[in-house]
Amino acid sequence: MWFDDCSLLTGFNMLWQQLANGIAIGSVYALISLGLTMVYGILRILHVAHAGIYALGAYVGWFSFRLVGDFWVSLLFGMAGAAVAGYLVERFLYSPLLHLPRIAPLIASIGLFIALEEAFRIVAGPHTLTYNARIGLGDLSIGSFKLTETQILILLVTVVILIVLWTFLTRTRIGLAMRACAMDAETTSSFGVNVGRIIAINFILGSAMAGAAGVLIGVYDNQVWPTMGSIPAYKALAIVVLGGLGNIPGTVVASIVVGLSETFFIGVLAIPFPRDAVAFIAMILVLMFRPYGLLGKA
Amino acid sequence: MISGYLITILITIIVYAILAHSLNVITGHAGQISLGHAAFFGIGAYTSALLYTGGGFPFWASVPLAAVVAGVVGAVLGIPCLRVRDDFLAITTMGIGFVVEAVFLYLPFFGGAMGIGGINLPKWFGREMSKPEYFLLILIVFVLLILFDRRLGRSWIGLAWSSIREDEQAAEAMGVDVVRFKVMAFVLGSTIAGLAGGFYAHFLTFIMPQNFGFGQSILILCMVVFGGIGTRWGPILGAVILGILPEISRPIMEYRTFVYGLLLLAMMRFQPGGLLGEESTLPRMLRRIQFRPSENR
Amino acid sequence: MRRLGLMGMVCGLFLFFIPGTGQAQDAIKIGFFAPITGPAAADGMSAKHAVELGLKEVNDGGGIRGKKVELIIYDDRLNPQEAVAIANKLIERDKVVGVVSGSYSGPTRVTAPIFQKAGMPMVAGYAVHPDVTWDPTQKKPNDFIFRNGYLGEVEGAAAAEFAVKNLKAKRISVISMDNDFGRAISAGFAERAEKLGSAILTKQMYKFPGEKDFRPFLTRIKEGNPEVIFAAGYYNEAASIVRQAKELGITAQILGEEGFDSPKFLEIAGPAAEGVIIATNLDRDDPRPVVQNFLANYRKAYNEDADMVGASSYDAFMILVDAIKKAGTDPKAIQKALLETKDYNGLTGKISRFVQGEVVKPVQIQVVKGGKFRRLAVIDNPEVITPPTK
Repeated sequence: MWFDDCSLLTGFNMLWQQLANGIAIGSVYALISLGLTMVYGILRILHVAHAGIYALGAYVGWFSFRLVGDFWVSLLFGMAGAAVAGYLVERFLYSPLLHLPRIAPLIASIGLFIALEEAFRIVAGPHTLTYNARIGLGDLSIGSFKLTETQILILLVTVVILIVLWTFLTRTRIGLAMRACAMDAETTSSFGVNVGRIIAINFILGSAMAGAAGVLIGVYDNQVWPTMGSIPAYKALAIVVLGGLGNIPGTVVASIVVGLSETFFIGVLAIPFPRDAVAFIAMILVLMFRPYGLLGKA
Repeated sequence: MISGYLITILITIIVYAILAHSLNVITGHAGQISLGHAAFFGIGAYTSALLYTGGGFPFWASVPLAAVVAGVVGAVLGIPCLRVRDDFLAITTMGIGFVVEAVFLYLPFFGGAMGIGGINLPKWFGREMSKPEYFLLILIVFVLLILFDRRLGRSWIGLAWSSIREDEQAAEAMGVDVVRFKVMAFVLGSTIAGLAGGFYAHFLTFIMPQNFGFGQSILILCMVVFGGIGTRWGPILGAVILGILPEISRPIMEYRTFVYGLLLLAMMRFQPGGLLGEESTLPRMLRRIQFRPSENR
Repeated sequence: MRRLGLMGMVCGLFLFFIPGTGQAQDAIKIGFFAPITGPAAADGMSAKHAVELGLKEVNDGGGIRGKKVELIIYDDRLNPQEAVAIANKLIERDKVVGVVSGSYSGPTRVTAPIFQKAGMPMVAGYAVHPDVTWDPTQKKPNDFIFRNGYLGEVEGAAAAEFAVKNLKAKRISVISMDNDFGRAISAGFAERAEKLGSAILTKQMYKFPGEKDFRPFLTRIKEGNPEVIFAAGYYNEAASIVRQAKELGITAQILGEEGFDSPKFLEIAGPAAEGVIIATNLDRDDPRPVVQNFLANYRKAYNEDADMVGASSYDAFMILVDAIKKAGTDPKAIQKALLETKDYNGLTGKISRFVQGEVVKPVQIQVVKGGKFRRLAVIDNPEVITPPTK
């Protein structure tokens, strides 16, 4: 068996480095999962195709980077492309299916996800594309600890997006209506709120965040490839459940927890177990003791 | 002499039909969405493979034992899982699928990434079974399962399941022990999936963890929903169609997976009940033919 | 009544896939399967392209004994059970005389016993699972199955030979993908390196497919401060490892394997690829026309550079064609010709012979210099490159 020859806990010297690695990947998970949890919160559907939107954001970002050559513009384009796609999915796929048992939108979502992955391959080719953007931030080194440019980028973008989202949800009328809808759509509707519009805004925001995550991963790994959504497709679901389906702060916490625990499992404990299983083991354990997730309420 | 190609596809389809039926017990009869059903399929396949190649058990013992082991694991995992709410359950079962696949991949006992090879077709009358004979064997088992399902459907258990599916709270209020019947469905479904796994391993002769991953779970669920969730024949029809789809769509080579995705999407959009669902077009047409044959102009 | 209609539908569907096989042709049919769609589509496409290039060359050169060659191509989607159907179809419907696998181990491994039983020769391009050429139940080789790629153990041992003898590495870390290839090659590497007296500091496995973030692994490796990192992965993982190692300021020499051998690796890794050394089978500085013509023709036909997967699949196809040229179209005779292969002038090296279906040829050591793979060394120590017989 592939147990490491080294003693188990030597990795602690690099603790700070691993912390940075874990928070960076956790931030990307947060951006992907937030959209999913918002959609769940309001429509109660498992939006698997969200990961397809994430990949679409990466492709749109990559394409506009090829055209324009500026990273920040391509990030905006990636987010906009994903937002439009998210809106269309809601409008033409989910909204006619909402009155049905929840398995129908789930299967439709899976079908859309498969078709999207294949469409990327057919249109952009099976090979990985490189997203070699110059961002202009520079690395940050303190001793042996190093925060790379792309890690700084991820942290920066995530923090900005989270602040904007939080302000939007707590300080604006639409944000308030969105939170109200997530609690009880019917009652909110009776207060004269246009629920259809709220749902659309929800999808647009969530998809834009997923698009941003796609672009960030494209740059972080310098790779954009057709099946890049297949792991986020299920990992984001685990994170969303861990955070308590529909719970926004819970999802952010869960994302960082999963990012960090994966990193420490690999880099410090060196237990040879696949990182994806870590998210699910964490999820199952938490559900056993807190059936509604980390910060979820009954 | 039936060609080996045809028989290969027939065996694949019948294994899928058993699998789809097994998931239908959980999802269709008792109303619980499972996104990790391939795990129990895999547990069956691995149990049978290990007993056969490592334990020296004959096929006739290893496959039933595979079903038993899958059922026991289903009970152990199902009891805590079923405490959680329905959407949580879907994702929890998905998690089980990943953890089970990871266990196959990471414990050398299960052959790891190398998989397990050398699992042959069963022997009878002192010789190895031919593929057509093997197909007949699975077909007989399948028919028995369907007959059993019919009996079960008319029994108290079947009634309890349908009451849970229609309205869980009402069923609870009527004194139905909801958790007990849910677990029962989960265990029965897992057992049948394990049986299918045993048959599959001996047909494929070589198994590896990836055969039992998330994609496979999704495929089984799609078969059930595509054909008509909760109906007896729907999932089987779904298994037949989605089982041969990769073969009949060979000419469009590079586009066939794309078409498969679109097909699922279109199905849910226009026939959300599945092909044989109560409200779907096909059964309505069939009923019309049945009831008013004279009005055909 | 309702059920009757259903049965009718099922029967109707079956009629669909009993296509006419009546197009009797005089061409020599060769079967080919690869993962043309799905998660390994990029490799499947490379394999398909290269084999089609070989097909064109053979037919432009007048075919085999005056007959054209027809290639029957199937997509296995990296799915073993589809591969089983394909194998049966190739044997019974398409009536091919031989088969080339341009696929991974999973699909190739399940088809091997079927071809073996049917007495149908198959040459695998790059599938690495040991049981492709070996029957574990009968404990004997599958003597109709041949492999153009190295066994993982052989390639790993050759890389270790180079790391210890040429690079003089005493402290080595190993990181490998968790599939049959990664396991076999890293085990072969570690065994040989330890035998030659070097220490393996860490052995890590990462999930395949899907792992992209190697920083946690590499941070751990960095701490041990090895001289050489032996990394196993296909080009996506390889490029990520190389780039992220650079980002983290790791200065150890990275030593890779044939999975790195793709122009895509160079493109994705960018400047970080410079100086990376790999063990592979394709020597791009080999002056033999078979190598230079292939590289040039591939570039011309597909507007991209050939990779190891393509080259190996091309070789597998050409080895089979060569055997058919010698022996005619009887599968048994083709198998005999393949068994007697001697000093075959292959694209991926001169094949001295097959031992129990396993190829014997030197392992190439290449280095990335100026954004290109260049020859660095050749490992031909027979102790290393002769596959172990069982």
